[in-house]
Amino acid sequence: MGIYPPPLEKLIEQFSRLPGIGQKSAARIALYVLKSDRELAENLASALVEVKDQIRLCSVCFNLTDNDPCSICRDQSRANGVLCIVEGPGELLAIEESGVFKGRYHVLHGVLSPLEGIGPEDLKISELFQRIEPEGIKEIILATNPTAEGEATASFLAKSLAEKGLKITRIALGIPMGGDLKYMDSLTLQHALKSRIPLQS
Amino acid sequence: MSRPDPIISPAIITRVKEFGESDLLVTFFTRESGLQKGVAKGARRSLKRFVNCLDAFCLASLEYTPKKQRDLCFIHSGKLLEAHQGLRSEYGSFSRASFIVELAETLFPPGVSDPRVFDLLKDSLKALSDEGGNILIPITFEARAMAIGGYRINLEKCCICGRAYKGEGRAVFVREKGGISCLGCRQESALSPGMEPESIRALRQMQDNDLGQLKGLDLSGGCLKEIKNVLKLHREYRLEKRLKTAKFLD
Ligand SMILES: [Zn+2]
Ligand SMILES: [Zn+2]
Repeated sequence: MGIYPPPLEKLIEQFSRLPGIGQKSAARIALYVLKSDRELAENLASALVEVKDQIRLCSVCFNLTDNDPCSICRDQSRANGVLCIVEGPGELLAIEESGVFKGRYHVLHGVLSPLEGIGPEDLKISELFQRIEPEGIKEIILATNPTAEGEATASFLAKSLAEKGLKITRIALGIPMGGDLKYMDSLTLQHALKSRIPLQS
Repeated sequence: MSRPDPIISPAIITRVKEFGESDLLVTFFTRESGLQKGVAKGARRSLKRFVNCLDAFCLASLEYTPKKQRDLCFIHSGKLLEAHQGLRSEYGSFSRASFIVELAETLFPPGVSDPRVFDLLKDSLKALSDEGGNILIPITFEARAMAIGGYRINLEKCCICGRAYKGEGRAVFVREKGGISCLGCRQESALSPGMEPESIRALRQMQDNDLGQLKGLDLSGGCLKEIKNVLKLHREYRLEKRLKTAKFLD
């Protein structure tokens, strides 16, 4: 049916299934692959298969890894009793790149979203609870995003963890670095004022 | 054909999805035009045009150009009016808010608007945020929204023999008729549950009044359970589907 020969049509169709890629972009990428060296196509194909074969979830923190447990969960120096809860691998990577956090992570793989039919049992929440005692967790940092769903998820976790006798903290919410007070909304300002910290020399 | 002028209107944001590299796909209700879907270009990067207002269950003032036919509308800017902080800080309230939003979206899809529903949704979200523990809110919302949507339960007379219901004695909810019957016309069963006069009176008030007029409505636990059950049977029968959010209500 398409205007291209069937094998090319097939490739375009596969690319167009990827998120954020429409028919036009898919055709552009497919034509690019076609006119490049054979090496590019071979490397692309083997990388795709490798990622599916070798990357899985760490059985402890549920981050993406090619080794189970992942390198962070195997690193004894990071067993400091502090657990940072994130929505997904992308958020974990962002915090890890900052280099500030020295403890371990727990990846929820989503946020609570009744509108999408996602409840507590659809996230890695029971797995989180199972880690607390064996790993001697003393503090939990709730680092879900400050969206309605992320906040509701943090509230849910804080309430469910309340009886465990842990220190439960939430990452600070407020004025972003490079932001401008004049343009801030009332909710952000409210958060920023509530979580103000003393400056001492 | 010329492009329509932008509108500035209060809007209740119901859903927000990431769209492409830096845009957001936003579903929202307005009083005049009901449920709409639009794209907010660059919203994930802009610290000026959209300051923290495009988030689920927020009330925001949106500036947007209405769509032509089936396109998405174009959202230019927004300003937060009410964040409903109480919905974020309490998962139970968040679940209840999700339920009333899904019910509103189902009963009033794009093109089917009623200003009363916007007001009801706005008042109910605020009430849930301020007093989340109040389980009457999703129930009164459901009764009223179904009534506005054309599914009012007839509580005035027996839907089988036609005899007027005088407010005395138990009656039976008849699902397929969307009404009540006298005990002589239909026996109580799981699918045709009985109702106390107090429940029928309260349900009538919920169907016909705004949230503000229901202040002081005091119900026994038994009546609340009866009404909740009847509304659930009625909803599932009329809408022919289960709401995704319903299972998170209790
Ligand atoms: Zn791990
Ligand atoms: Zn009758």
